[in-house]
This record gives sequence, C-alpha cells and structure tokens, in this order.
Amino acid sequence: MGVLIVQIVVLLLLAIGCALCAWYFPYPSPVVRRWLPPRQRWPELQVRGWLAGAPFQKSFLRYFYRDPERDPPDGLDLLAPADGIIRGADIQGDIRYLVIALSFWDMHVQRSPLEGVVVSVESLGDSFMDGEGQEFAFLRGKPCPVQKRVVIRTSAGILAIRLITSLAARRLETWINAGEYVARGQRIGKILLGSTVVLELPPSMSLTVQIGDRVWAGETVVALHKAPA
Amino acid sequence: MIDFFWTSGHLGWGVFTLAAFTMLWILVLDVLWRVTRIRFVRLLAAMCVAWVSAGVVIVLVAGINAS
Repeated sequence: MGVLIVQIVVLLLLAIGCALCAWYFPYPSPVVRRWLPPRQRWPELQVRGWLAGAPFQKSFLRYFYRDPERDPPDGLDLLAPADGIIRGADIQGDIRYLVIALSFWDMHVQRSPLEGVVVSVESLGDSFMDGEGQEFAFLRGKPCPVQKRVVIRTSAGILAIRLITSLAARRLETWINAGEYVARGQRIGKILLGSTVVLELPPSMSLTVQIGDRVWAGETVVALHKAPA
Repeated sequence: MIDFFWTSGHLGWGVFTLAAFTMLWILVLDVLWRVTRIRFVRLLAAMCVAWVSAGVVIVLVAGINAS
C-alpha cells in the first residue's frame, strides 16, 4: 500500500507539472521559470506583440514617437544626444560616461553631439543587467542590457553614444552606418520605449552640465569643445 | 504482462516508469524549447524518437523482469 501511495504522489506531482505547462503556455510555467535564463522567462514574441498592439492608445503613441525639429546653437561645443536628466558623469579608465536618463514622457529620438564620421555602429547586449545599484553593467565590462553603441570620429576626438533599452522593450533603431558623415545635431536613431543614453567623452573635456540637469537633444550644450592633444 | 500494469498491490513498475518518464519528457521538452533555438518541429521529432526508444527499452526491461 505504501508503494502505491508513493507512486500516486510521484505521478500526481508530475501531472501537476505538465498541467501547469499547458495552463501557462506559451509563458513558462512556475515549475520551470526559475531554471530558465532571464531572457527566456518572458515570451519575446508576446511582449513584442503587446508593445505593438492595441493596449497603447494611438494618440499616446503619436505623442511618444514624436520627432520635433531642433535648432542646434552655433559653435562647436558638444550637444546632448538625448532628452532627459543627467544621472551620472563618472570617469572610468580614460572615458567619461555622461549618463542621460529618459523618462516615459521624453522625446526618444537621439542626435549626434558633433559633426563627424561614423566609425562603427555596434549592437551589444542580450540579457538583463546583471546587478542592481546605480552602476551600469557595461562599466564592469559587460555589454548587457540591450544597447547600440555608435562611435563617431569628430574634431574633438572619438566619441561614442550608447542607446540603451530594457530587454522588455528591446527595440532600438539607428539611422546611420559606418563611414557616413553626420552633422552636429543630426538624428542618429531612436529608442522605442527605452530608457538611457550614455555619451562617452574624453575625460579632459569640460562639462557644462551637472547631475540632475535637464537636457534636450540637439540643443543643450553638455561639454565644451576641445581638440585632442 | 499483468506485472507491467499491476503487481503486489501497487502499480506495475513498467507502467509507472513509462508514465513518469513520459511526463518528465514533456517537462524537458518544454524547457528545451525555451532555451534552445532549434525549430519546434525538429525538436518535437527528436524528442519523440528518443521517447519511443526509451519506451521500448522500458517495456523490454519490464517484460524481461516479468518473465
């Protein structure tokens, strides 16, 4: 009798596991969710469908995807690549990372801080940020989360702009390619439902903004131009 | 063959193993489908072949033990 009970319990547990799989499909059931890598915990196709689908009002999407003209100020100083709030300006190694956090209500088209030639457009990251806290994973040599890094050779040296988004949104567009010329303030890409833009600068450049300042893409000067030594 | 389904007051080890193995196989298939990039039809075909092979082995072993 004891063996029968053990057999029934084992089969019942397995049957519950299978039933949960069927119940939650195509989402991962709670039985397997914890064992999956982060990216597989959410069904990407469903999330994309949700983002592209009906839940958002069209009027809101028109507002969210707005792309107004900007009027860059005269001069050679570096412009903000994105709308948002300055969240960091740390120097790590020989790079200063100017972090601009975009809110849900900010315009999400990015612009070139200076004129120059695009050196490369890299796609990086395919997983969640691996740690909590203020520090970005890429500062620790890890590419996550999803991001694109646009490197531009300018009169002030090599600059890079990182367009970073969450894994859920996971939609970045860049409108430039390696070898192309970009003008100061030119549109370079768009983050769809994304979060952060990071401008990589030579550390010798003098910033004109500080943490907490609001900046506007293509209009706000964030650093003074300085030719490389 | 009766030992396969029922023996000594409990489920036969043959049918128990087959049922448990089948359900485990479904759970494994679910996980593999999520963590690999293989096409679902191919994965399903491979898992079915493996399941049939393992099932034949289970039935044979149960039959040998019963005899």
